[in-house]
Amino acid sequence: MKKNIKTQILCHILLIAGLIVVVLPMLYMISTSLKPNGALYEFPPRFFPDLDEITLENYQYILSQKKFYINFLNSIFVSVSSVLLTALIASAMGFVIARFNFPGKKFLFAFIVLTMIVPGMTLIVPQYELAVKLNAINSLAALIPFYVAWTIAYSTFMIKGFVENIPKELDEAIYMDGGSVFTVFRHAILPLAKPGIASVSIFNFLTAWEEFPWANTVINDDLKRTLPIAISGFFGQHQFTQWGYVFALSVFSLVPILLVFIFCQKFFVAGLASGSVKG
Amino acid sequence: MKLTGKRKIQIGVLLLPGILVFAIFTCYPIIKLFIMSFFEWNYGSILDQNFIGLQNYINVFSDEYFRTAFVNTIIYTLVTVPGQMILGLLVALLLNQVTRLKVTYRVLYYLPVITSWVVASLIFKYVFNTEGMLNYFLTDIIHLTSENIRWLDTRWGGLCIAMFLGIWKGIGWNMIVFLAALQTVPTEYYEAASIDGASSVKKFFHVTLPCIKGNILFALVMLTIGGFNVYTSVKMITNGEPGHQTDMILTWMYHKAFNTGDFGYSAALSFVTAVVLAILAVIQFRLMQNKDN
Repeated sequence: MKKNIKTQILCHILLIAGLIVVVLPMLYMISTSLKPNGALYEFPPRFFPDLDEITLENYQYILSQKKFYINFLNSIFVSVSSVLLTALIASAMGFVIARFNFPGKKFLFAFIVLTMIVPGMTLIVPQYELAVKLNAINSLAALIPFYVAWTIAYSTFMIKGFVENIPKELDEAIYMDGGSVFTVFRHAILPLAKPGIASVSIFNFLTAWEEFPWANTVINDDLKRTLPIAISGFFGQHQFTQWGYVFALSVFSLVPILLVFIFCQKFFVAGLASGSVKG
Repeated sequence: MKLTGKRKIQIGVLLLPGILVFAIFTCYPIIKLFIMSFFEWNYGSILDQNFIGLQNYINVFSDEYFRTAFVNTIIYTLVTVPGQMILGLLVALLLNQVTRLKVTYRVLYYLPVITSWVVASLIFKYVFNTEGMLNYFLTDIIHLTSENIRWLDTRWGGLCIAMFLGIWKGIGWNMIVFLAALQTVPTEYYEAASIDGASSVKKFFHVTLPCIKGNILFALVMLTIGGFNVYTSVKMITNGEPGHQTDMILTWMYHKAFNTGDFGYSAALSFVTAVVLAILAVIQFRLMQNKDN
């Protein structure tokens, strides 16, 4: 048993050493956001500001700018809408693919797997052309269908897997009672596949929340920007980048993700684990 | 299941929204991408495009900048994929040993994964700044170099930052995947190996690795796709500078389309990338299925 304790201690030492490297950049971001802006070009650079030097001026600046509130709300609006839409559409599709045979099913499923493989960025040129045609340039709401399209393949694939694990007898019982396909979907599949749908939705939220290239391409207006675009907007605007502002806004942008992550941790891990088994 | 007329309609109603989204926002762009790649298609020719056959493809492959971007992407993938897999597996193995603080470690190691690419890239850009923290540490504290390394001004410096970031951000994902995999390895196997007097190293190579082969291949496929997908980090950190030497396939494609307006060229480049990746993934998936059987 003595050897076992030694192994435990060694493992903890190695894990903590690794953790320092992993967490250090995040801590540095927070500490920089708490330094007065003048101290950002100090020499020698210090990891932590002196205690009496700690200031909230960067946060105060961010909070005093109306546009950042709007950017934040824009991000919430776009992310939540696309997550809900994807969850609904993908559940319906995943359910039908898992339970019924219909013409073109094989083709549809092959297409879903194919779009999971091909990087979304490779379609940015024709999607831009489509956005021009649809008059979707510089429109916040028009981001949503594109985000849905990017997350729907993976979501359908995963949800189909979850539905297959729900016993079919339940469907049969509802049909016997004269229920329709919709009744089965609403009263059997949706409630029982909820944990699976939740885990997929967390990833979709992350994807939409941090999406950069597409929003950066189609949105020009300051007040229509989402947060990632607002953060990157600090560059090129001033001669010197105001790193304190950049990181204060970055910290704000990470809060919703952290909240989602902390409150939905069990779905998060379950989703990842099942994904790795099913492939 | 037998489909009556009524049910057929109901199924159709459930499928319709998804199929519409696919048709308009994925199918149409894929077809359009293929068509655009054969045309001279730029800002000046919105209304009238000339069919130029394979000229766009010829332009892509004879382009020196594309070759640099291609080599950069290959290097990026070859370094970051094994890098994050090995480190992620290592963390998973260690976590599997400890009995306390498991959840705390897991959450903290996962933090970089949920940090957005834009924010993570900016942190790295700041740390690696010529007058930044890392150079101060390397030159003034541990005296590894006599003067500040100009990370952002050279090809290899820029690539290094992007690769450090890629590995840093990917460890947590690999950790979770391998942690789940390790839990599926039957403990009897380890016990049997112990009775035979196998060392921990032997157990790892002869019990653990063969048991989680499927998960390793799964991670390999996903991460290879991810490696070719690298865009935001390079765009934020170097933006291809100096002189497009740090461009990746996708940042170069984006630059050609949206900065120079050569959509035909970018379409050809995108199409080649998509096809190559699809083929690569199919091969890897086939390998995976063979291993499973």
